[in-house]
Amino acid sequence: MGATGGEVVWNALRALPMGQRIELVDGAGRRWSGSVIPPHELSGERILTLKLESGYNVGVRIDAGTRFEPVGSPPPERTPASPPPTHGRPPSGSDWIALLTTGGTIASRVDYETGGVRPVRGEREILDFYPQLERSGPVRIVPVFDRMSEDLVPDDWLTLAEKTVEAFAAGARGVVVAHGTDTLGFTAAGLSFLLDGLPGAVALVGAQRSPDRPSSDGPTNLAAAVAVARDRRIGEVVVVMHAGVSDLRFAVHRGTWVRKMHSSRRDAFESRNGPLLGHVEGDEVHLTGPIRPPSVGPPRVDGPIDPRAGLLWSYPGLTAERAASFAEGLRGIVLAGTGLGHVGGHLVPWIRSATERGVVVTMTTQCLAGSADPYVYSTGRALLRAGVLYLGDLLPETAYAKLLWALGHESTPEGVRRRLLVDRAGEFSLRHVAEAGP
Amino acid sequence: MKVGLEVHQQLSTGKLFCRCPAALSEETAGGFVRRLRPASGEDRRVDVAAAFQASLGRSYRYESGPSDCLVEMDEEPPHPLDPEALDVALTFALLVGARPIDEIAVMRKIVVDGSNTAGFQRTALVAVDGTLSLGGRDYSIQTVCLEEDAARKVRETAGEVVYRLDRLGIPLVEVATGPDITSGEEARRVAEEIGALLRATRRVRRGIGTVREDLNVSIEGGHRIEIKGVQELGMIREYVEREEGRQRVLLAVRDELRRRNARVGPAEGADVSPLFAEITSGPLATGSRKGGAVRALSLPGFGGLFGSPPGSDERLGRELADQVRAVGLKGLLHSDELPGYGVAPAHVEELRRRLGLGAQDGFVLVADSSTERLGVALRRIADRATAAIEGIPGETRDPLPDGRSRYSRPLPGRHRMYPETDVPPIPISAEHLDRLRARLPERPSELLERLQRDHRLGAEVVRQLVYGGFADRFEALTARGHAAALVARLLTQDLPAAAAAAGPEFDPPDEVLEAVLGAAGSGRFSKEGIPEVLTALARGASSVDDAIARTGFEGLSADQLKALIERVVRAQAAMVRSRGPEAFSPLMGDLMREVRGRRDGKEVAEELRRAIDRLLAEPAG
Repeated sequence: MGATGGEVVWNALRALPMGQRIELVDGAGRRWSGSVIPPHELSGERILTLKLESGYNVGVRIDAGTRFEPVGSPPPERTPASPPPTHGRPPSGSDWIALLTTGGTIASRVDYETGGVRPVRGEREILDFYPQLERSGPVRIVPVFDRMSEDLVPDDWLTLAEKTVEAFAAGARGVVVAHGTDTLGFTAAGLSFLLDGLPGAVALVGAQRSPDRPSSDGPTNLAAAVAVARDRRIGEVVVVMHAGVSDLRFAVHRGTWVRKMHSSRRDAFESRNGPLLGHVEGDEVHLTGPIRPPSVGPPRVDGPIDPRAGLLWSYPGLTAERAASFAEGLRGIVLAGTGLGHVGGHLVPWIRSATERGVVVTMTTQCLAGSADPYVYSTGRALLRAGVLYLGDLLPETAYAKLLWALGHESTPEGVRRRLLVDRAGEFSLRHVAEAGP
Repeated sequence: MKVGLEVHQQLSTGKLFCRCPAALSEETAGGFVRRLRPASGEDRRVDVAAAFQASLGRSYRYESGPSDCLVEMDEEPPHPLDPEALDVALTFALLVGARPIDEIAVMRKIVVDGSNTAGFQRTALVAVDGTLSLGGRDYSIQTVCLEEDAARKVRETAGEVVYRLDRLGIPLVEVATGPDITSGEEARRVAEEIGALLRATRRVRRGIGTVREDLNVSIEGGHRIEIKGVQELGMIREYVEREEGRQRVLLAVRDELRRRNARVGPAEGADVSPLFAEITSGPLATGSRKGGAVRALSLPGFGGLFGSPPGSDERLGRELADQVRAVGLKGLLHSDELPGYGVAPAHVEELRRRLGLGAQDGFVLVADSSTERLGVALRRIADRATAAIEGIPGETRDPLPDGRSRYSRPLPGRHRMYPETDVPPIPISAEHLDRLRARLPERPSELLERLQRDHRLGAEVVRQLVYGGFADRFEALTARGHAAALVARLLTQDLPAAAAAAGPEFDPPDEVLEAVLGAAGSGRFSKEGIPEVLTALARGASSVDDAIARTGFEGLSADQLKALIERVVRAQAAMVRSRGPEAFSPLMGDLMREVRGRRDGKEVAEELRRAIDRLLAEPAG
């Protein structure tokens, strides 16, 4: 079938360079005058998006009756995005903070001509975007990845660990890792286990609001993270994000205790089964929890990890067959059981056969707070007899990260189990206290 | 003169991007603090207005309450655009023959004064190119937009601005005309007609502040000025005419400045603090405090031009003073008003000598306890004075209660909008528009005719009902059986009078008016007493019963009335016998003072006549 009239017009319009001004008369004889810009991802078929003189965008239906004419010369070629920056400037002095970037957008500019939001990349550009970051000393940008955090995999934690150690070895006082918020908690836990001998803080930070908005929490979060990274009392992996919905206070969370608990709030990150390590207010870092002090070093990566483990959420309707097919090829499993760490009794035989085959099956609670405990109910006791290793008050995600690390270091199930039970980075809490309240 | 109008009308549908009610509230549940960064565009050119706001460097506090949720707090992405609000905007567009957009794109319009928690306002263009025909002329309706209202400012201190989130997100239909209006009176009529058309949709909020107008005024040789946020329709004419007058005065000043080759001295000004070191009171006293200074700006050629010309209240001096007020200073002193305000003739002489100024030259004195702020203030005076030589600078002005306006901020620049990608584009189908066309509401002209016809009311009363926004209440109350004339009078006269006595927030719901009318209808008090009962309600009576009790109108039955009249007539028997039927007037006066509001005047008159006749018919003795 030949091209229809509408298709011909549509194709001609799509061939125009972005930003080209046109005069258009649609099928009903109505005139439009504006610049051609890229459409919204969810824009309808054969809808042309024009930016009008007023700045408003409109979607115009294109059909066989549409006529148009370019007006004026095509816009100048947009200068290509700055070339990917090289691995940071050579550092000088000993007072600098390394800012590792993993992607998503740490900074962006709006191109009002097209409405596009362009990520800002070069080190100088990023630091210009956040002028307050270098108030107490230099910051060097170390680009590591350029990915949304949901696209990161455990091997990427190793890469980040390596870059962190490199930065400390080169003389950085502290390291900040800018990271998407979706899997930030996983990376924080992973780095907590992979890093040894830290002479300073490793502060992971993200933003819940995109950087193109005036209300973005990125700038204030980053500034707080840099303040934490500068603090000489800290020698562990932490997460720094808003403590509440105001821009005044930022929480410092232990990397193994923290989880994203809300899909959109600025204060989405919360610590579970352990207190906040401290908070940042103004430029001051107040430490109120059991912070791990810096080590004499040297900093090193304690790898490798073995990615052959899985995290399985238990739920009514989970059959043994499904669980077994999930577990195929895995050396270890973290179960997020209900309540004190339970799964349906029908799964016990599958678990027993897995542990007898040498799979390390561990238990955490999907309540995300409180401890898993095998002794209180018969279900727990049965699971214990079936070979499940209870991991106390560890978050499922933290247990998963620790399991990958333990599997990377041990070749026997006994070895893995031993390693899992030893406190490595302050992840186990000996005391759980309630906050004062009614 | 060219005037363009932008009318912003709040809708009563519910908020635009979340499902909170469109209602203001005095309850607050707690607050939080944010800092907003200026947004910058691709070419590093920060929007002029945004940079200005950012330079003020304030933190913003927001108060939450029962009319807002995480969306208003910028803690949750926007929900889909409310389809009911969209239909109201499309209906209005169809009423004025504007053409709706095929696929609507919601935009983010950057706003950095803190009135939107995200730092931008969500706004969408819904329709273009309509026409309003009024009084034989056609006015272009350039655009119809649908957007969210901003948070409302509840307090402002030196360090912080406080906003309440209740108003944020209430839908606004924005109607913008072309610059086709040529007088203040025309502007008022066009605004009134647009308001009536919007009200015809029956989905608009009522009450003070629910409709705001922006006036764009320019005269020949002048520049477009925006007077933003006019709330009273009746004041539109005054604002337009005053602005016209202001621009004429300033153009005359410009002409004289040019004739004199006037110029502006260096913007840092001269530090003259030592000259005023002894001053402890008056406008310059802050400069003699620690850390402060007094500076003078030379304005050669400006002598005698700061004050108002005869016959006008407008003056360049006030425009300069408003510039420094905008950065937090109290004001300035200009040479035309000196000596005075603690500045002695000797000071003036010395200043003129130091600045090398002649008779036709002027200067400005500013003082502040912060030399930094002083520097900013002087730069602004210098800029404004330079602009005065060029003509009229474009600016946004605030309307003041007395009909004047005052400089508020620069006109916003262009590059401020980009797509709101969190809200998908909204296609408008031909079928959707056909459905709306099939149930277009009655236009005001049709409503006027119908009310006149059906209720046999006069043209003027009906006009007040329709353009005052009382039509739907009138119809609701008359549908319940109350007399049209009585309801019309209650809505157009008694209710506004009670509000005038107690405050414009007095806006009782229909049930209350129904109760008042019902009580009058059933004889609990007389309809002449309706104004007093309404006033009692406006002043805080807890219920209609309470209001009636407060007026003291209660409790006079027909029999009690007869007995009362009988008593009064008998007590004045001698006067009645001597004056005969003429005794009616004085006795009626006495009686009405006693019973007004409790029994109907007509009833009292009839009964009094009967009583007088009865007495006169009796044999004397």
